[in-house]
Amino acid sequence: MSVDAVPVLQVRDLRTYFNTLDGVVRAVDGVTFDVGRGETLGIVGESGCGKSVTALSILRLIPPETGRIVGGSIRFDGRELVGLDEAEMKSLRGHRISMIFQEPMTSLNPVLTVGTQIAENVVRHLGVSWRQGLDRAREMLELVRIADAARRLDEYPHQLSGGMRQRVMIAIALSCEPRVLIADEPTTALDVTIQAQILDLMLELKEKLGTAIVLITHDLGVIAETAERVVVMYAGRKVEEASVSSLFAQPMHPYTRGLMRAIPRLDIEADTAGRRPRLQEIPGLVPILTRPIPGCAFADRCGFATDRCRAERPPSVEVRPGHEVACWETARVAEAA
Amino acid sequence: MTTLADTAIDPPRRFSLGTAIRRNPTIAFGGVLLAILVLVGVFAHLIAGDPLRLSPVNRLRPPSERWWFGTDQFGRDVFSRSVYGARVSLIVGISVAAISCVLGLLLGLVCGYFRRVDAIVMRVMDGIMAIPSILLAIALITLTRPGLTIVIIAIVIPEVPRIVRVVRAVVLSIRSQPYIESAIAGGTKNAKLLWRHVLPNTMAPLIVQGTYVCASAMLIEAGLSFLGAGVPPEVPSWGNIIAQGRTFFQIAPWTILIPGAFLALTVLAVNLLGDGLRDRLDPRLARRL
Amino acid sequence: MSTAPVLEVQGLVKHFPILGGLLQRRVGEVRAVDGVSFSIARGETLGLVGESGCGKSTIGKVVLKLIEPTAGRILLGGEDVSSLKPGAMWAHRRRIQTIFQDPYSALNPRLPSGTLVGEPLENFGLARGAELGERVAKLFERVGLRPDAMRKFAHEFSGGQRQRLGIAKALSVNPDLIVADEPVSALDVSVQAQVLNLLIDLQEEYGLAYLFISHDLAVMRHISHRIAVMYLGRIVELTTKRALFEGHLHPYTEALLSAATAPDPARRKRRRRIVQGDVPSPAKPPPGCHFHTRCPYAIAECRTLAPPLIEVAPGHHVACHRRPVGGGPHPLSTTV
Repeated sequence: MSVDAVPVLQVRDLRTYFNTLDGVVRAVDGVTFDVGRGETLGIVGESGCGKSVTALSILRLIPPETGRIVGGSIRFDGRELVGLDEAEMKSLRGHRISMIFQEPMTSLNPVLTVGTQIAENVVRHLGVSWRQGLDRAREMLELVRIADAARRLDEYPHQLSGGMRQRVMIAIALSCEPRVLIADEPTTALDVTIQAQILDLMLELKEKLGTAIVLITHDLGVIAETAERVVVMYAGRKVEEASVSSLFAQPMHPYTRGLMRAIPRLDIEADTAGRRPRLQEIPGLVPILTRPIPGCAFADRCGFATDRCRAERPPSVEVRPGHEVACWETARVAEAA
Repeated sequence: MTTLADTAIDPPRRFSLGTAIRRNPTIAFGGVLLAILVLVGVFAHLIAGDPLRLSPVNRLRPPSERWWFGTDQFGRDVFSRSVYGARVSLIVGISVAAISCVLGLLLGLVCGYFRRVDAIVMRVMDGIMAIPSILLAIALITLTRPGLTIVIIAIVIPEVPRIVRVVRAVVLSIRSQPYIESAIAGGTKNAKLLWRHVLPNTMAPLIVQGTYVCASAMLIEAGLSFLGAGVPPEVPSWGNIIAQGRTFFQIAPWTILIPGAFLALTVLAVNLLGDGLRDRLDPRLARRL
Repeated sequence: MSTAPVLEVQGLVKHFPILGGLLQRRVGEVRAVDGVSFSIARGETLGLVGESGCGKSTIGKVVLKLIEPTAGRILLGGEDVSSLKPGAMWAHRRRIQTIFQDPYSALNPRLPSGTLVGEPLENFGLARGAELGERVAKLFERVGLRPDAMRKFAHEFSGGQRQRLGIAKALSVNPDLIVADEPVSALDVSVQAQVLNLLIDLQEEYGLAYLFISHDLAVMRHISHRIAVMYLGRIVELTTKRALFEGHLHPYTEALLSAATAPDPARRKRRRRIVQGDVPSPAKPPPGCHFHTRCPYAIAECRTLAPPLIEVAPGHHVACHRRPVGGGPHPLSTTV
């Protein structure tokens, strides 16, 4: 194996639990995936599936009063992050691994100018002078295509539009040329036309800087148009992992299939008579994560479920090259087409 | 026909004292402390002797087996006086809280809901808030005969605007909630809207604010009594006891420390209860697991 | 039954004052809705689509008379309700109900769900006592909830179930029209499907009309019969669903469609025409056609003169100076 083929981020059997008054919530319950250098990995799932907690775990940003990583390993560039001391973690965050969030307004400091916030990050991590930091800030604003960058440096977050703020967040996140950028629902709060602009920008910068992106979203459309590989999560577990083309062409997990049939399609007309087809529903609700789930977490809502599914947790198995699925009934599901 | 959506959600938990205390230690602690003090106040006549009985022979006795908390300059039992003082303080605290809550709630609802009244009433409230409350109380009391009722009224007046502001702010935020618009669209008329949708949602912040008013009323009452503008000097309120003891502080510090400790403990209990209730009733904080 | 449209809106305008300075004087206004006309027939779904700030939600609130229009007429079943005072409006509320976006804040947290759902019935004196209970139980069943859940409070339901409660409430008084403001955008995909299916079933069963407000074109394509595309307070294109998706004429519609994502990786290769720039503030809309600042086809005329909404083909209305003359195929139109 060549050096280049070593993934930049390796997550193995990650388990992050939260202590609540209702009991222990297994928010992330044994999740494994790799992120290759310069790759875009999509993590998709519905609310409460643990996708955001996975991201926070990688950055070790789980609030210690309520939650902790109880097991597994996160290796970044060969270095174990689980158990790494906070000072070292701080030097990695925003530098080698950085993150952008859904709501840029809450992640930007309202009383500091945009330029200061970018320069601060650069000065802290790269140890350059403040002057150089500000130069870098201007360069970054130009890179994320904010017009009139020199003037914008002195503006405050509230003076910018939502799309512009997300561009600033990206500028901060990429200012130290990180190896991995974790983007948690980066476009969910934005309008459609702005979303398209931001997604395009992220992909373009990825090419330019060689940053790997972990894109976390609930939107299969966003995944289909941006990711190279996809991890589908359900109730804190990975149920399927595949290349984006393989996943959308032939989803193998009943949950993934259910999701794809449940979304109204922009690109497919109802039928010739103009009658609206029924969307396929996934019956039931997401399981309650405080109760241990011995078998497959989707078993209660799955049409293929057997007694084994309810009793024994299915391992993630490769069914096609690069296409893994955690399901006992893969053969029957594949037949059902 | 659509399939029945699964309504299997956690069965309601049965009430258990242990869990309740574990979840809200502040409420439990404040509540128990306050309950004890209330019991002391209510049953003062059973617990303590006559707080007014003079005993010139036993002046300024230090705490001992016979006088647990010592005696004052007239030989009156400080323990008995402090226990009866709880009565006065609690009566003042609770009645001020109750009266100003009721008045504040009414005015706050009206202000928050009918914007035309709002401008006028709120300017009046601002005016009242601009008067120093202690001075207003002293002025009122000097104009009339000192007594418990007038003390309560004097404290209620400056407290009402505080409640009005809280209730008004809450009503304004409730008014813009989608469930209010949904109720209007569903044909709900003003009176019912206020009674059924707005009022119940103001209760939590009102109760919390009420506890703060209660604590502050007890402190103001003590302050007024200390200044000689409170309840008549013969009434054993904590402020009066402290005021009368202050000349002898260096030889008989217990005459001040004991009622002072009672006052501090009571205010602490009420504030703890208020803080606990705020954390418990504020849905934004409660949702934080 | 009358043949008048269940809702007709003519030249609707809603301006919100911007107050500023120490004395809270009016220093300007947000032109949230700036001269909008449309109508909805019985049993029809009209979709209002647009980005945030385009005024689509304001239209919903104005036709419900939750806020008063600045100008224009609102006709409910042919009757003008635009200038009715709240008291007089009350009687008309039975015919127009609403479902909100956020199922968490659209239900009073302190009332049992059964009481909430039955409230409109109670308000209009349509049922009381035991009969009220029965009708509410039937409504619960109809929207897919167990009648024994009537005693539960809003927080005891999941997001999708709460949206069902909202639907049951709107349905209770048997309205002609339901204004649905982003009713599925807060829901997870699998639950969204359940709610959309329910809405369609109910429409077919009761002949309901929907004014369906959403930013999601895929949802629009699924549920609407006709779609109005809005930009900064104005309708820029209004036509049938098919014509909109296959033969749209306005550059903004094109921008929306090409920016929308679809769960199909193959679509990635298509040439995306992404419009640049942000939506201008509705407090300071650009003169002329509001879209000209971002429009790749803008000409001088677009910068000064607002294009009127013109019917270029039967049922196909466009507000664009560069629309084709005589309704022929448009040079801009592309299929998605």
